[in-house]
Amino acid sequence: MKKLRRKWAYRVLISLGLLAVGCIALFFALPSLLIAPASVAKSDVILYGAISKHSTADKYIIDLYRQGAARKIICLSSQVSRDLYPGDYARESLISQGAPAEDVISLRLPIAPCGGVALTKIADFVKANGWKSALYVTDPEDSRYSGSLARRFFEREGIALAVSYSPEDREELTRDWRRTHWKTQRMLGEAMIIILDRFYSECR
Amino acid sequence: MDTTLASLRYLKQSKLARWGAVAVACLAAIYFLTPVLLNKAAVGLIREDRPVKADVIVAMAGDFRCNREKRAAELWRQGWADNVVVGGVSYPWGFHTGEAARRYVMSLGVPEEKIFMICETLNTRAEAKALDDLMRERGWNSAIIVTSAFHSRRAMYTVEKAAPGRSFYSSPVPTGSPEWTPRAWWSRRDDVYITMREFASWANTLVGGWQ
Repeated sequence: MKKLRRKWAYRVLISLGLLAVGCIALFFALPSLLIAPASVAKSDVILYGAISKHSTADKYIIDLYRQGAARKIICLSSQVSRDLYPGDYARESLISQGAPAEDVISLRLPIAPCGGVALTKIADFVKANGWKSALYVTDPEDSRYSGSLARRFFEREGIALAVSYSPEDREELTRDWRRTHWKTQRMLGEAMIIILDRFYSECR
Repeated sequence: MDTTLASLRYLKQSKLARWGAVAVACLAAIYFLTPVLLNKAAVGLIREDRPVKADVIVAMAGDFRCNREKRAAELWRQGWADNVVVGGVSYPWGFHTGEAARRYVMSLGVPEEKIFMICETLNTRAEAKALDDLMRERGWNSAIIVTSAFHSRRAMYTVEKAAPGRSFYSSPVPTGSPEWTPRAWWSRRDDVYITMREFASWANTLVGGWQ
């Protein structure tokens, strides 16, 4: 009986050890798991979704626009304080850098429980404007998951989607990310979102 | 009666049946206790103190809906303190969420000169440190901390640790949609995310990890 107990104790310990090693390995692999290779395709519209505190994607967006990647830019944001939509400011910034005002739109989104809900609204907006293809510029850590999720929502509406992000944002996010609070928070937050969305049909 | 006795006798004699009964009992306990424990764990995140007059009401930053600021203004109007502190972060496009919060609190009737701002409140610990500095500078010794219910216990723990000599009282935003709700939180996607993240943040705070 004692022997049997010891055997089980070993098994439990080994399983816990393997689980811990697995979690640590997953943690270290987060950048390569979450960040997909950027893909840029000529599209009808650029969906500018990387509007966050640490983003420097403005330059990337304006470069894409100047290179003729798309004719229109939509700045996507939901409120970050009372009646404060960062997309409105990003729009102004793009206009001040030379993009014609009529080509830049700020789309105000409601605070959604998950990305899937917001993506449905964006896809509806793109479809309502008659655009057939879009280039979605998002945060690097969001590129693999949101990319595949958005592709599904957009393709359902007959819209082709390419997903990209600013190379500077990627470089900044992955530099020393394990030691920086906001970087680790964003990586772990994204991992948590991916896991949770599996369980809720409105987010898939 | 006979069948029950026979079953009990069988249970007593058969090892397999005994283990089976234990397994069924464990599964039943897990099934019925898990929701209770999960609810308890979520309620444990909340700290609410009885209302006390203080020097300042602090609306912790980070609420996109600004319900914390709304509650702070409400407490100010009820006369619980003379001053209100709001916080926020600056974005690369030249705006500050704290400024928007300040404007909102003003629109709710708090005079401009009674509102103070903490800048770059990237996380609770940074905010607690900045609050301690501001309280020292203004000579305030007590504060009512207003934050979302899920954040209230951790916010209190953090500010009390950052400013040990001062008194803090918690008056969180009431729970209920669209705010976080502890009851059956696992059934709503946004509440699950908030709750899990709060548990992770607690772990990080307790071990003194990322700042």
